[in-house]
Amino acid sequence: MANRRAFIVGMLATGLLPKATWADVGSPAFLSAGLTHDGTYVLCGLTASSQIAFTFPLPARGHAAAVHPKLAQAVAFARRPGTFAIVLDCASGRESVRLIAPAGRHFYGHGAYSADGELLFTTENDFDAGKGVIGVWSTRDHYARIGEFSSGGIGPHDIKLLPDGQTLVVANGGIETHPESGRTKLNLPTMKSNLSYLSLDGHILGQVELSNEYQRNSIRHLAVSQEATVAFAMQWQGDLTDQVPLLGTHRLADDRPPKLANADTFHNLQGYVGSVAANLRTIAITAPRGGALLEFSAQDLRLIDRLDLADVCGVAPLRSGFICTSGNGHVGPSNGHGFGDPYPIKWDNHLVAV
Amino acid sequence: MKALLSTVFLLSTSAGFADTPLPGTTVDTHVLPGYETLAAQTAELSLAAATDCSVESPDLVAAYHDAFDAWIAVSHLRFGPSERNDRAFALAFWPDPRSATPKGLAALIADQDTVAANPDEFATVSVALRGFYALEQLLFDSQLTEAGPQEYICQLVRAIANDIAQNASEILLDWKTEYGNLMANPGNATYRTPDEALQQFFTALSTGLEFTAETRLGRPLGTFDRPRPNRAEARRSGRSLRNVIGSLTATKQLAEQLSMNDPKVEEAFNAAIQRATELDDPILAGVASPQERFRIEVLKQDIDNIRRILAEQVGPSLGIAAGFNSLDGD
Repeated sequence: MANRRAFIVGMLATGLLPKATWADVGSPAFLSAGLTHDGTYVLCGLTASSQIAFTFPLPARGHAAAVHPKLAQAVAFARRPGTFAIVLDCASGRESVRLIAPAGRHFYGHGAYSADGELLFTTENDFDAGKGVIGVWSTRDHYARIGEFSSGGIGPHDIKLLPDGQTLVVANGGIETHPESGRTKLNLPTMKSNLSYLSLDGHILGQVELSNEYQRNSIRHLAVSQEATVAFAMQWQGDLTDQVPLLGTHRLADDRPPKLANADTFHNLQGYVGSVAANLRTIAITAPRGGALLEFSAQDLRLIDRLDLADVCGVAPLRSGFICTSGNGHVGPSNGHGFGDPYPIKWDNHLVAV
Repeated sequence: MKALLSTVFLLSTSAGFADTPLPGTTVDTHVLPGYETLAAQTAELSLAAATDCSVESPDLVAAYHDAFDAWIAVSHLRFGPSERNDRAFALAFWPDPRSATPKGLAALIADQDTVAANPDEFATVSVALRGFYALEQLLFDSQLTEAGPQEYICQLVRAIANDIAQNASEILLDWKTEYGNLMANPGNATYRTPDEALQQFFTALSTGLEFTAETRLGRPLGTFDRPRPNRAEARRSGRSLRNVIGSLTATKQLAEQLSMNDPKVEEAFNAAIQRATELDDPILAGVASPQERFRIEVLKQDIDNIRRILAEQVGPSLGIAAGFNSLDGD
């Protein structure tokens, strides 16, 4: 059975079979993990008009998803410190492959495909060594684990492919954790977060650290613009009344330190940004602990708009503006207009465009 | 419509009579007394080290325990003065998964590093080599201390004890001269409203309980197949369970204030404190035995139960959402 499935996946990958499309599962425009009212964890597809296209059960709480660039396939990742990731076959609406993290590793909840869809990269914790790892999986070969390399830091969380198709950018949050002590942060006094640019075979092409005054800022989530500007969202691990920037941008091509948004902008967000998204001119961050979505101009990181929405976290770009989700079931545009009734689903951290 | 109106009436009436906790009361009755005790006990500790720095000195060991107790009683108040210049981390560098403390102390001792001779200079060394957990290793790990001459160990003990006292008195001074006022009289850039100050206290309370459950108990518990008794906090000086009880007792006082003496909160704390007291396992060695381990796991569940009650019932009353995403931490 497994062989046959591998064969079909292989055929799909080489384009010998007619390709299934997302239309088979209701043409979702976005994916989000969630928790239904009966306690089931799910991955849902949402249409451009915020309707649920499909619901797919997960064995435990999900986090983010990654969408195959060529095939109608997506991977749903377990929330840290989970060890599973499920490849969803959109034609059947069923699980096609389950990735299990190797012994001594767990997933952080994010991953990215290569531009041709041949490889999947996952952020992982080598927890006994306390080191960040990028796992490499061959999609053609039934998502076999074919290697791993250093993430360039501790606690790699989000990972994205730059538009050149040759460069991965990784948010190394800097925080050491071990599954035996749950989500306890083990190294706050010495933590060091960075943004690492890696080639697809794991060479470090560039690294950006924050200045000493922001040593307790954990770079956690990423959004990449079409011009390869990386927007990074942070979570402050120091005193919550400190005024610190929680959003910055950086370009590998420019040999310059990152731009940081004005620290005053983040008052009362409890030092915590959950997601970030970018479109052509603007960047949005969500702050579930502050109950707000903030929109910035991409050019100069000036605050231009704010939406107050309790427990907002998922956010994805629209052609103009953003769409966001909340833990109270809301889905709607960032201008605050056109929110329907909330779904009986607690939408989880990330909303991913298909 | 009538039903709706009467509900609204009832709600507004009850709100009119309801007391809300005052951040200034918590500053005066919880924070300041805690830090005053810490400053006094650490001054005693420094004096005891100056009088007799022998690692076997009973007075020094007693002062160490009293001062450590005083630290545990405020160790959940991780904001404001304790976070300036990394003072709290310099008092308490734990957990230490990469063994930075023993490795760093061994290096100081091997080099007989002169940094220990100068208090100002000692205040600049890595936080891993300062504070209660570094002092514990000098006082209770003979392998470490036998590696160097007694005079140097003595100098290092004094330097650490002095640094602890200095740090504690700086935290207290900041609370008394400035920070207590910011919380007691909101409407400033740090705390714009009383709610913001109360939310800070609530965050400290939740984080403190999470630390006790996940770290003080979770690290030695490890997994059933691989318990980690050697990871118990301050086990060399037999303080692992004592720290759990001390922290529960201190956070109980804060929780009572923030919950306006909610009996459910008090009951949940009492259950956990009683279970911890009955454990009679100072270094949580029981994590490695199936029967004893179960009792420690139940204690952890008791603390998780307190956290759940606080998150679901007390937090929302202070304007802290118990949201799916806001509690997530990813």
